[in-house]
Amino acid sequence: MPSQFVTLLRNEVTKAARRRLSYFGLFAVGLVCVIIYFIAGQVGNSATTNAWGYVGFSMQLLFNDIGPICIIGFAAKLVADETGAGTIRSALAAPVHRWEFYLAKAVIGLLYMLVLSAFALLFSAALASVHYRFGPVGDSVGVIYSRNQAMREFLVCCALSWIPLSALVMYGLLISTVLRNPAAAVAVGISSLFLINFTKHLVGLDPYIFTRYIDYSWLTLQQIAQGMDYQWRPEVWRMIELSGVSAVLTFAAGLILFVREDLNN
Amino acid sequence: MMESPPALALEEVSKRFGRVHAVDHLSLQVEPGHMAGFLGPNGAGKSTTLYMIPRLVRPTHGRISIFGVDIWKDYKKAIRSVGITVETPAFYEYLSGRKNLELAARLLDHVSPREIDEILERIGLAERQHDRVRVYSTGMKQRLGIGRALLGRPRLLILDEPTNGMDPEGTHEILSFLRHKVRNDGLTLFISSHLMSEIEEFCDTVFVINRGHLVASGSVKELLKPHERIVRVTFQGRTPDRDFISRHEQIRKAEFMTADTVEFTLAQDDPAWLNQCLLQAGFSVSALAPKQKTLKEFFLSITGLRHDEVPSSINQPPATQAGDKPHA
Repeated sequence: MPSQFVTLLRNEVTKAARRRLSYFGLFAVGLVCVIIYFIAGQVGNSATTNAWGYVGFSMQLLFNDIGPICIIGFAAKLVADETGAGTIRSALAAPVHRWEFYLAKAVIGLLYMLVLSAFALLFSAALASVHYRFGPVGDSVGVIYSRNQAMREFLVCCALSWIPLSALVMYGLLISTVLRNPAAAVAVGISSLFLINFTKHLVGLDPYIFTRYIDYSWLTLQQIAQGMDYQWRPEVWRMIELSGVSAVLTFAAGLILFVREDLNN
Repeated sequence: MMESPPALALEEVSKRFGRVHAVDHLSLQVEPGHMAGFLGPNGAGKSTTLYMIPRLVRPTHGRISIFGVDIWKDYKKAIRSVGITVETPAFYEYLSGRKNLELAARLLDHVSPREIDEILERIGLAERQHDRVRVYSTGMKQRLGIGRALLGRPRLLILDEPTNGMDPEGTHEILSFLRHKVRNDGLTLFISSHLMSEIEEFCDTVFVINRGHLVASGSVKELLKPHERIVRVTFQGRTPDRDFISRHEQIRKAEFMTADTVEFTLAQDDPAWLNQCLLQAGFSVSALAPKQKTLKEFFLSITGLRHDEVPSSINQPPATQAGDKPHA
């Protein structure tokens, strides 16, 4: 029998589209975007002197708190919701393999992250265009980065920002696999994220935790927007390496646990 | 001609949770086209056994096959011919009953919208199909669970306490429908229940499990063979007195059930002797029948439970508290 992965993913999309939580994340991000818009007007820092800078500033603030909270909250509910409610019993009593089910959960988590990120980006860009232009970056002397160059770096920024967020999705999914109560899974997911962020400097683990790179791309975009001589490398390799390894490890750990665990009460 | 494999076969299946042997070397076979009951007190290992069939729980030892296909060798092929509900059916409560069936149907081969319509009609949820499951009563959820298990025209249906929360009318309707499917469509049914009256009325064979072991199995008729030693006699007019009873050593006990009905306990399985004896003594016997053993009595005798240890739910009529009224 062919793989049921695509069918399972279709089911996941149907479920996500009909749940309030999915829209709550978008609403929260949209709301924070609006708040940032008003704050940015008052702050008036050098980062927000053009549209690129504004988007970078907005996205950096969004993905400092509310973005990761929404993403980890969504991911932490993916499996725990099913085990907690018992729907996993009927889902797995169908001709599907557990790995297919888990993979579909991982992919819907990633899709949600992409949708949330794209929504935040478009909303921020729309608000940026109220006051600024997405034109070339320059100073009193002349053009430093052409519009095309800035756009290219902007797109690179977007793509790179998804890498640590993917690791965050897999971390949330791992918690969702370990804890069978969805409320507990969300609480543990969010609180552990904050705990890690607050303590990683103190215990010297900062260089080894992927969360430090969640807003890295947007900080770089702000540098570009200010006409600074930005440098992706070598830090970007470190980001890809650390986030990639974290994503693969947490996904593999979750998958092994899920495939092996007894799903009785 | 090749013999068809059993619909469900468990061979020496065991499951251990730490030190606890939930199921211990359990073997059973359900023949195709049969309605088999699965009985056991709370904690006997029924649910663990059912959980192992769709691989929700991994057995410590043993082999499970469905129509000859080992579930650990080719799970998809094996499970494709099975419709199963384990414990209380759970649904995505934020979706409608129909949407829940549609999601399940996508994972099966060739389930048409028409088949979903037919099932909804059959389980009596056609009118409420677009309501969210959140507002369904327990009985409606049970029926939707049975509907989901019937999707894709399975050859084997495994139902765990399928009539929990249903009203008596709904229970009878569903079980009669299932019996019809068994008789006419060749469906095999393996049904776990604590309602022994259901098993007694609807099943051909029964498996009784206690403390993880199979303690009895066979046809319901065979297991419930009447007590030949306990004979209930209805008299017309005169009834036997103490003298008559004490004169016959084969009569161990005589108990008046009503003014004209006496239950005799005999020393041997010989109701014919009692009949002859009563007639010779000039009693007018209008009815004489060996007392029917109930499945509950049988169950108690082999599980070693006392009457007061039996879970209160056993052999009581199905709960009607939820009825078919939706929750507020």
